[in-house]
Amino acid sequence: MNPLQRLRAVTPEATKTHCPYCAFQCGMEMTVRDRKGHDIEVTADEAFPVNRGQMCIKGLTSAALLEHPARIRTPMLREQDGRLAPVTWETALDFVAERLRSLRATYGPASVGAFGSGALTNEKAYLLGKFVRVVLRSPNVDYNGRYCMSSAAAGQNRAFGIDRGLPFPVSDIAKTGTLMLWGSNCAETMPPITQWIFEQKSAGGHLIVVDPRRTDTARIASLHLQLTPGTDLALANGLLHLAIEQKLIDEDYVARRTEGFDDLRRSVLTSDPARIERLTGVPIEQQVRAVRLLAESESSMILSGRGPEQQSKGSDTVLALINLMLALGKVGKPASGYGCLTGQGNGQGGREHGQKADQLPGYRLIEDPDDRRAIAAVWGIEPDELPGKGKSAYELLDSCGPQGGIRGLLVFGSNVVVSSPHASNVERRIRDLELLVVCDSFQNETTEAAHVILPVAQWAEEEGTMTNLEGRVILRQRVRPPPPGCKTDLAILCELAHRLGVSRGFQFESAQDVFDELRAATAGGRADYSGITYEKIRLEQGVFWPCPSAGHPGTPRLFADTFAHPGGRARFHAVPYRPAEEVPDTEYPLYFTTGRYKEHYNSGAQTRLVQALVDVRPEPRVQIHPRLAGKLGVAEGEGLVVQSRRGAVCFLAQISTDIRADTLFAPFHWGGRMAANLLTIPALDPVSGMPEFKVCAVRARAAGPAHQNATIA
Amino acid sequence: MIKKKLAIVGNGMGTCRLLDELVLREGTRRYEITVFGEERGGAYNRILLSRVLGGDSPDSIVTKTPEWYDRHGIRLIHTAKVTRLDTVRKSVLTEDGQSRRYDVVVLATGSQPLAPPIDGMFGSDGDLRSGVFVYRTIADCLRMRERARPREGAVVIGGGLLGLEAAKVLADRGLHVTVVQVAATLMNTQLDALGGEMLARQIAHHGIFVRTGKTVEGLYGDEANERVSGVFLDDGATLPADMVVLACGVRPRVEVAKASGLPVNKGVVVNDTLATEVPGVYAFGECAEHDGKTYGVVAPVWEQATVLAEVLTGKQRQARYRGSKLYTRLKVAGVDVASMGSLEPELDSDQVVQVIEERRNAYRKLIIRDGRLMGAMLVGNTAATATLVQMFDRGDPMPEEPLDILCSKPPSSDPAECVVCTCNKVTAAALRQAIAAGASSVDALSVATKAGTGCGSCKGELAQLVTLYAKKTEPLPLAVAN
Repeated sequence: MNPLQRLRAVTPEATKTHCPYCAFQCGMEMTVRDRKGHDIEVTADEAFPVNRGQMCIKGLTSAALLEHPARIRTPMLREQDGRLAPVTWETALDFVAERLRSLRATYGPASVGAFGSGALTNEKAYLLGKFVRVVLRSPNVDYNGRYCMSSAAAGQNRAFGIDRGLPFPVSDIAKTGTLMLWGSNCAETMPPITQWIFEQKSAGGHLIVVDPRRTDTARIASLHLQLTPGTDLALANGLLHLAIEQKLIDEDYVARRTEGFDDLRRSVLTSDPARIERLTGVPIEQQVRAVRLLAESESSMILSGRGPEQQSKGSDTVLALINLMLALGKVGKPASGYGCLTGQGNGQGGREHGQKADQLPGYRLIEDPDDRRAIAAVWGIEPDELPGKGKSAYELLDSCGPQGGIRGLLVFGSNVVVSSPHASNVERRIRDLELLVVCDSFQNETTEAAHVILPVAQWAEEEGTMTNLEGRVILRQRVRPPPPGCKTDLAILCELAHRLGVSRGFQFESAQDVFDELRAATAGGRADYSGITYEKIRLEQGVFWPCPSAGHPGTPRLFADTFAHPGGRARFHAVPYRPAEEVPDTEYPLYFTTGRYKEHYNSGAQTRLVQALVDVRPEPRVQIHPRLAGKLGVAEGEGLVVQSRRGAVCFLAQISTDIRADTLFAPFHWGGRMAANLLTIPALDPVSGMPEFKVCAVRARAAGPAHQNATIA
Repeated sequence: MIKKKLAIVGNGMGTCRLLDELVLREGTRRYEITVFGEERGGAYNRILLSRVLGGDSPDSIVTKTPEWYDRHGIRLIHTAKVTRLDTVRKSVLTEDGQSRRYDVVVLATGSQPLAPPIDGMFGSDGDLRSGVFVYRTIADCLRMRERARPREGAVVIGGGLLGLEAAKVLADRGLHVTVVQVAATLMNTQLDALGGEMLARQIAHHGIFVRTGKTVEGLYGDEANERVSGVFLDDGATLPADMVVLACGVRPRVEVAKASGLPVNKGVVVNDTLATEVPGVYAFGECAEHDGKTYGVVAPVWEQATVLAEVLTGKQRQARYRGSKLYTRLKVAGVDVASMGSLEPELDSDQVVQVIEERRNAYRKLIIRDGRLMGAMLVGNTAATATLVQMFDRGDPMPEEPLDILCSKPPSSDPAECVVCTCNKVTAAALRQAIAAGASSVDALSVATKAGTGCGSCKGELAQLVTLYAKKTEPLPLAVAN
């Protein structure tokens, strides 16, 4: 037997876990190939029913992050001279606790807060919310999920009385007659989902894509509506107007299962196709084809992405999409309805368990007296001791510093300087903090301003549950222990709680212990996890919430019989069109919109460290139509200075007919001078707090050969 | 805070929009609003009247029910007509002798149909003769509907947007319809002669008869001489008709303004804030004249409503109305017209592009000044409308070769151009080429094109392509996604 064969013979079993990135949460198998736990092989899990053995390049290369040379392996404290110095955990945590205590004493409890992440497990999201409310006694906790699915969440809650990204398993996509992907470029942002779409198309289904760009997703569509940025709401209302005009409304369904149609019907009377064509740029013929396909297919669904959601009218736009599918009688029918393709790994669970400013675990509302009582009982405090509603993500960051009143902030798993709109403002604000603590595995643009960096375990080094885009609760299993010097977020929260004098309720042996408390806290709530156990997840390839008892099978499909509002009916909402906060004018004559590359994830804090990904996509490029490029005198690969009222970035140009001639596009995965979010506008949706990442006004000029990739301040 | 009294005279589409804009800006907290309307049952969307004429219920086009006004604390008075404003005492006088105080008043009295002086048009009672209709209100549509019977004759006087729309609905109901147009061509305010001619040919294809350059000289009646039974044309022809529809345009309704002593030209004269020269009195919509222009389509009226709401609520003190860009779209089954801006070049340097497709009855014309679109008309082929109207609205620069705009297809998917493997950007066309060159299995295809070697999510698609296009003698791939 040669050595290689012997090695194979003792190969340890693969550990089943899930990808560290997006909400699709591909099942992956990780196999440790050496004794040190450094050589780890990643393959896609053939048995997991969501990705069925497929995985994108991000997941396949993810193990590179575990032994990455840039990984932080010891707590760091910023010295007087501004340099970061390694310190012991004892020193770091004592320092943080002491600073938190003194800030609270001087400025009051609301002066400290936390910013969480859709990358955190349910257990972490739960404990972070509890920590801020019970230990810090502050209302100020929110998370980057606000930038992700908050508009879809707000829309679904108002229409259905419940918010679960998809009301059905992804496998239902393959069974639908007409699939409309609205502002989602899922072929690039979650590639393994396309297997379900190809299956749907092969079965004779239609695919409609709504996007200002002809993306890879739009290319596989039979109908592409290439609308003007920021006009999704107008188009959705227009399609409903057409559906009414063409007598496509399911009147029986509307009468039996909904309320409020009369007001809605009247409000869309002014959305006639000619007006909508003028506003959106979508020809009348295409509007008609789209609505007929949706209405006349036996089953049809609209799945929205960040396109319509990341607008200052995102929640209204989601409501308009839901209005349409309700009026066509599709919601709750097999392989039909509305769904949101959630972005972040645990964007779903993250919003259910209390790290959102207005929520408590189990999707309870912090302003509802019954919900407060229920959670206070689990936490062993009086309902009055629970703080009220805090600030939403951007508002929270914008309040940092003496003016806004937030003096100390703990950041978990989020690179806020890159991912927030009007990034330069956020950077200024967090530099005004008296205490910024960042818990992360790597230094990034946000840690540059941190007073303390606490190195944390990565996804493969700890246990915990995630809730994927379907509402399926899944289990991440530990593949190897964290490197010496790194702690889990859960341990950090508990140790800080102890130092701040709260021991009761912060003594957990394991993530599973936290999950057990979470189960109890969600019992009777809208997102009820009380019947879910780690064991059940392992046995059943995940469990769909709500799952209110041990014997309950979970709920893969919602709305077949009833909606979650009292009375069981879905609610229509009249949502008149309004323009984006900023539209092109003579000074700034172009639209600017942002999005993703397949090779990178969110702020790029992880993926920009993976050489295989950087090799394919080393830098952001601004997509520009050849006609506009000709006018501006910029050629492929040359610098183009894009400027908004908030900042300017010099991108290299990528010339393509895939984009509208009135629009520029750039990805937001880079920080510093290449940050697309230096340009974006911090206009917020009044209901969801979602910033308007998807549309602002810019002007552009050729940089000339001397200014490649230089910022013009 | 004591609310000011805001009176709005008129309850048409303009008022409807103004109320929405006021509510949006919390204007009902600042004002106690009273609306004087003439028709019962709230406000409706006039541009959808053809639905009612076509058989839908009147309620189907009602945008605001009386209940809506109640809900927003807005008083709706439709029992007494407004006669005039007393601008000294600041009150609205109605024909029942009442007078109601206002702090601010808005005239939105709209327009009324033009009734040309034609012999025999009126009955002995001075009203329109039985069988003669104007096409303006829900009530008009209901009366027309009652009269319209299949196979009977109808004459529509007026070949503009409204006349053609009415003609189409009546033809769809099975009537024999003739459109009589004074001007030499149809839709002559929106189309040049050639465009109007192309449109006439398209209309004719839909079974509607068109007589242009003709005037109706008189109407004649049945034996009792009550009901109309036909029309005389100026060329001596007679057209039997069981109904006659007047669609000869509109003029601003200015009686109230005149009786109130407000400056009136074609319409009630207003400035950029929609104010008349009398303090506290505003006017907008089809009754108003701004910068020498009155408008008869809805988009400018809505733009005015938005500005007026800003002015009245003080939300944006700088809000000004600077005039509107004109755009018209006619879209009735099979007849497709779009028109924007100028019909003809005005300067020698204006560039004109015309595309005439005689056999398809299609016509497209662009007028360009200094690289920007001044005007465009499209008849029969309106695919480029969406792009053009946005360029027109924003004043975007045109491409150096304007024909590019007309030629650019609406983006649709070319299956060959479809990227199948997104990791390696391999298109369907490239894969078929590779199959033709001998790659007869998924693995061979992956070797030849790199497709499927990234995330692998396209393997099912690759297998299908192989199944479809590989020579049948070759072995079939194992994995086929269904």
